[in-house]
Amino acid sequence: MTLHKKIHTYIWGAIALLLLPACNGILGGIYDEPLPKEKKEFGFIQINDKAKTGRIYIDATDYKQWHYIDLHQKQVVSAAVEDKAPADWDFAIHRYDAKTNNGTVAECDATDFNSLPAIKSLPENAFIPDEWSKNRIIIDLSKMMEGIVVRKDDYYNPCLSKWLHVDTSTMPPIYTPSGKIYILRIKDGSYAAIRLKNYMNDAAVKGFMTIDYLYPVQL
Amino acid sequence: MIRKITYAVLLTMIFTVCATAQYKIFGTISDKNGNPLLGAIITVKELPTLGTTTNEQGYYTVNLPEYKTYTLIASYIGFLEKKQMVSKHHNGPYNFMLTENDLMLDQVVVTGTRTPKLLKEVPIVTRVISESDIKRVDATHIGDLLQTELPGIEFSYAMNQQTALNMTGFGGNSVLFLTDGERLAGETLDNIDYSRLNMNNVQRIEIVKGASSSLYGSNAVGGVINVISKESEEPWAININARYSAHNEQRYGGTFSFNTGRFSSTTNVQRTSIDAIDLSQGAKDDKIGDYKKIYGNSTFNIKERLIFKPTENLKFTGRLGYFFRERNASESQTDHFRSFTGGLKGNYNINKRNDIEVSYLFDQYDKSDYLVGDKLDVRDYSNVQHTLRTLYNHTFLDKQILTIGGDYMRDYLMSYQFKDGGSYVQYTADAFAQLDWNPNKKINIIAGLRFDYFSESKLKHLSPKIGLMYKLGKCSLRGSYAKGFRAPTLKEMYMNFFMANIFMIYGNPNLKPESSHNFSLSGEYIKDNHNITITGFYNIVENRITTVWNKALAGQVYTNMSKLQVAGIDANASGRYPCGISWRLSYAYTYENIKKGQAILSSTRPHTATVRLAYDREWKNYGLSLSLSGRFLSKVTTDIYTKSTSYEETEKQTYPGYTMWKLNLTQRIKRGLNLTLSVDNLFNYRPDYYYKNSPSTTGTTCSIGVSVDIDKMLNKK
Repeated sequence: MTLHKKIHTYIWGAIALLLLPACNGILGGIYDEPLPKEKKEFGFIQINDKAKTGRIYIDATDYKQWHYIDLHQKQVVSAAVEDKAPADWDFAIHRYDAKTNNGTVAECDATDFNSLPAIKSLPENAFIPDEWSKNRIIIDLSKMMEGIVVRKDDYYNPCLSKWLHVDTSTMPPIYTPSGKIYILRIKDGSYAAIRLKNYMNDAAVKGFMTIDYLYPVQL
Repeated sequence: MIRKITYAVLLTMIFTVCATAQYKIFGTISDKNGNPLLGAIITVKELPTLGTTTNEQGYYTVNLPEYKTYTLIASYIGFLEKKQMVSKHHNGPYNFMLTENDLMLDQVVVTGTRTPKLLKEVPIVTRVISESDIKRVDATHIGDLLQTELPGIEFSYAMNQQTALNMTGFGGNSVLFLTDGERLAGETLDNIDYSRLNMNNVQRIEIVKGASSSLYGSNAVGGVINVISKESEEPWAININARYSAHNEQRYGGTFSFNTGRFSSTTNVQRTSIDAIDLSQGAKDDKIGDYKKIYGNSTFNIKERLIFKPTENLKFTGRLGYFFRERNASESQTDHFRSFTGGLKGNYNINKRNDIEVSYLFDQYDKSDYLVGDKLDVRDYSNVQHTLRTLYNHTFLDKQILTIGGDYMRDYLMSYQFKDGGSYVQYTADAFAQLDWNPNKKINIIAGLRFDYFSESKLKHLSPKIGLMYKLGKCSLRGSYAKGFRAPTLKEMYMNFFMANIFMIYGNPNLKPESSHNFSLSGEYIKDNHNITITGFYNIVENRITTVWNKALAGQVYTNMSKLQVAGIDANASGRYPCGISWRLSYAYTYENIKKGQAILSSTRPHTATVRLAYDREWKNYGLSLSLSGRFLSKVTTDIYTKSTSYEETEKQTYPGYTMWKLNLTQRIKRGLNLTLSVDNLFNYRPDYYYKNSPSTTGTTCSIGVSVDIDKMLNKK
């Protein structure tokens, strides 16, 4: 092979190499695709009637909304913070805050519905009722940069809200989910087991709450 | 008659030589790793006309005229000479093991001019960190190394514990980082991913401070840092190394290379990991610092370089690389960073006076969020750069060099910070020319001009440079004026991001390019084993780009700042002695003049210094390298705004100064087997409060490392 031919071979080889990688990058397939917005489902996204378990997915990014969860009817109703709650609901969430409809909540060490303790084994004082909190629920952060954070007085369940600890003393805040199961005693006397599975969506945006439940819990 | 006398004298001389008793001495000259040095020179101090050079095995023989005691001197370019007394009673070989001269004035550098030149002859002040310096520092990535070796460099934390550089008043996006002359794609908060630049298999790092846009275009405002990889010269070589340190910090590396003459290949793999660092150390005080915990992380890096030389004048270099970093930001989510690199470069020496280089490089940098619970790895950032480069050098009238080049780049950026996670593409093209003119032995003038075009901003920019070097005996004086610039990036033009669900950050398509006028004056004095360099610099920086609060939009908008000045002094002194002792002292003074009312005010520490004292000694079966290095950073008091949304009221904030010392001992306990022990933060410094620019140390730490060169262990020569 003459030097000329050799050089030609190399140049064509180089051009072939040049064309190999796609213009906008390679190996996109190694990543998971986030769900397209329009296909995202919220509410009771999984219901297993036989096992009495299910999964609730809520877009709780809006600081100005409570999301009321009705375990009996299997529905989620959202309402503005200043609006009235719907007629039937069992517990509600606002960002990472949680409250109950005249219920009480106990934290247990179990992280799996199969290893729940017997409800009767839980001491009565483990069940914590809601408390009226002054200036706790943040409803507007739009003027935070100017040092203004708007808060509202509201009910709040200190036990259920332990499902996610947010340490805001450092920036960015440190999020620590407890991973534990919370036993909710509903005002009708029935019990539900609740676990926060995730507080982010599949694009890692915080405020999207995935909650697993078991309802009713056998006594 | 005269002819007869001449014959007589010659015969007498021959007779004298024959009659004198001769004896032959022999031996080898090698470097400290035992590699033979071809062409090393042996001279005899007492007989200046007698001398020889070594062969390929580093072997030499010298015939000495009579039984007498002589002094043999072994020397080799780039190495410190060594002496040995020759005694007539000694019959064995006289072997020499030479150590590299760290003053490195015979070092070839490329960054200042883009043509290979000796360090002492380059008209642009260039600082070189050599392979032996890198080994002494035992650094994992470039940040550790630069901070230890150079004053005026500080890596601190930006928001969300992202790394941020300040090099004498210039941030990460105003300093251009290159690997073998190529840019790196991707950035986070204006800084490239420094952990991509691991220090395994690096031959040297060249640092050119000041503007260099006439050769490198955008980003070369405050300086250029070029990491040069090591090329394999041995027929084959295998190195494996490991290091363990506090916080379960682990580092494993391996390099395999071969060289058949026409083909050579180097494969390098490195894996690092470190646990999270709890800065509270058990203390319950909430006022530990701006952060309480440093996130743990791990990296994996693999690089392959293949060189093919079909003819003596033609060389092809192929590159492939993959990098992965995981940062454990929380229990539920980890941050993933990946890069994919591939490239092909051809160098053709047309003849002695002309050479040309053509290259193509692909570099992709991705960021993704890994959701631990869902096992989902969703990408939200990808920067893909395709770059075509040409460079032509023409040498004429003996030593005058004309350099002409041009580049073309396609820059694709997809980001979660764009509206709906969208993407933008920008094309850039440039052409440049530089004349390296040497009118006589004392004067060297360098003049260059570059034109850059950016498609999205329709930016057309001219960057000139002129430099002069004047040699006067042992002194070299250098002076230069250069313009530097940084084009607005796609991020700065099109950002549309709801920051933490709190406020918006908007891009600005009408941004002007950031530019600087850089004036530099430097004096260098070299005598024997000493080198002193002092450089003064002055920069006028216009239109620096930053985010500014916009009341009407109730968010931040990328905006050009008004004019500011950065001036300072860089001083460096070093010495190295044949006994093995060496030292280096470097000091930098930086003064930033930023007017009040600008969105960002100066927080650069005015005084910084680094110092190193080292002792290196090599014996046949044992080698020792002991070094003590220190780093001093002065305190800085700065004004900070009391509100994030207005630039009126300020309060004073002082960031305390600190000093850190590191002791490093490397021992060659067997041929090819090195053991390194280090004590970092020798005097147990702990910040009272961890600011973003405090060192994230929890006190004195120790590390142990081992490095094995398998080829050297097996090579019994």
